[in-house]
Amino acid sequence: MGRRVTYTKDTDASAELSSDALLTAVKAFLMDCAAPNLEGRHRFNARVAANVLGIIQREHTIGPTLKALDEDALRRWLPESGPNEPAQQLSRALADGRITPDDRFFDYLKARQLLVSAINNPRYASRAIAEERWGA
Amino acid sequence: MQPDELIAALNVALPALLTDKVSGAAVTSLERLSGGANNETWRLVWGETPLILRRRPFSADSVADLEGNILGLSLVDEAQVIQVASSTAVPVPEIHAVFDERHPIGEAFLMGFIDGESIPQRWLSDAQFEGARNELAYQCGEALARIHTIDCSNLPASIRPTTLQRRFEAAQHRLHAFGDVSPALQFGLNWLIEHAPESSPHVLLHGDFRTGNLLINKLGLAGVLDWELTHQGPPAEDLGYLCAYVWRFGNLDKPVGGFGHYADLIKGYESVTGWCPDLASIRYWEVFAALSWGLVCQTMGALWHSGEGDVERAAVSRRRSEAELDMLLLIDEWEGV
Repeated sequence: MGRRVTYTKDTDASAELSSDALLTAVKAFLMDCAAPNLEGRHRFNARVAANVLGIIQREHTIGPTLKALDEDALRRWLPESGPNEPAQQLSRALADGRITPDDRFFDYLKARQLLVSAINNPRYASRAIAEERWGA
Repeated sequence: MQPDELIAALNVALPALLTDKVSGAAVTSLERLSGGANNETWRLVWGETPLILRRRPFSADSVADLEGNILGLSLVDEAQVIQVASSTAVPVPEIHAVFDERHPIGEAFLMGFIDGESIPQRWLSDAQFEGARNELAYQCGEALARIHTIDCSNLPASIRPTTLQRRFEAAQHRLHAFGDVSPALQFGLNWLIEHAPESSPHVLLHGDFRTGNLLINKLGLAGVLDWELTHQGPPAEDLGYLCAYVWRFGNLDKPVGGFGHYADLIKGYESVTGWCPDLASIRYWEVFAALSWGLVCQTMGALWHSGEGDVERAAVSRRRSEAELDMLLLIDEWEGV
């Protein structure tokens, strides 16, 4: 059996359900209804699909902090550049040598990675080590 | 291809090919095994004999524009490598039949079924495999050393020697092709280039020798599977790959695949060849393995975009963040020494 999804009760029962609540409902359906009634590859994929919804939920919550961190890094290391796609601009500048990474840049990458990992796979084993070493 | 169609195609093709090898007249069961975001793996029973079919569900053309050989050998070439490896003491399945992409079955090969446990989450924790786990790092060292001593002149032409420089260029090309979305992978690639080892003689590498590709019984290593990423390179590469964080299944304190220790791996290797790459070079290739895994994840995402694959492949694209995190951790450790 798959891991059961935790239901979060809305504090205001009359409010329209948030997209987060809707995703939780679909995740619960996939884990608790669809997966147990499917077999083989389809059962596996139903669980994968539920996990993908978890990524979307966490991106919704953590994404703005990540965006602000990237924008701040862009202003610091590429002050002449435009504001779009900060991670891509920083990557390209690393690739062509316009940024020579120092300790501060490495610290930015570490802080960034803690957020990215928290979105995509918060239970990944080495994340606990990274949190201990680099976390605030 | 639907299971019914596959059974029909197998029933037409196999009788002539399995005569004198495997008794039986028809497929009596067929089941798709989970795992394998790239090739399909099917377990079938021919008469009463279980067999394994590896099949590529898409044409090589559909991934050609992704650049590089990250999806590995054709299954025809993979089958040939397994046959070459079977001449050593490395445990591999017997190849019974090979089909190219023009065959109704599609690009595929049929091999013997080796009894053993292939799911790492089971054999890494189940008490019945405790003895096997204790022996396994040494046995993996032995097996890798044996693979590394295979004569490269008998290999398919697609397994050509390459240089580290060309591989760096290919990795850079892919990072650009995938939209430069990962400053961490780019940082890691730059680091790998700066810390590149002196060139060493190249040998045949398994290329994907990791916990998830080992078949285990109570005595230890029963089979080495999935040879599709075989290539030539320095011996330390395979050793570092086996020790990559991402293949330790959470057992980070057991650097060899989540089950063993460096010293035993090195001892096993030395027992065959009389020498072994040093620990620093093994750890360099752990960083490289993280980059490779990150690029595989991105390739999976690109394949999904091109219409190839299901939700698993889309989801794997996000596991790039594991590779990014591991690269930064390993580099942090390296620089902190």
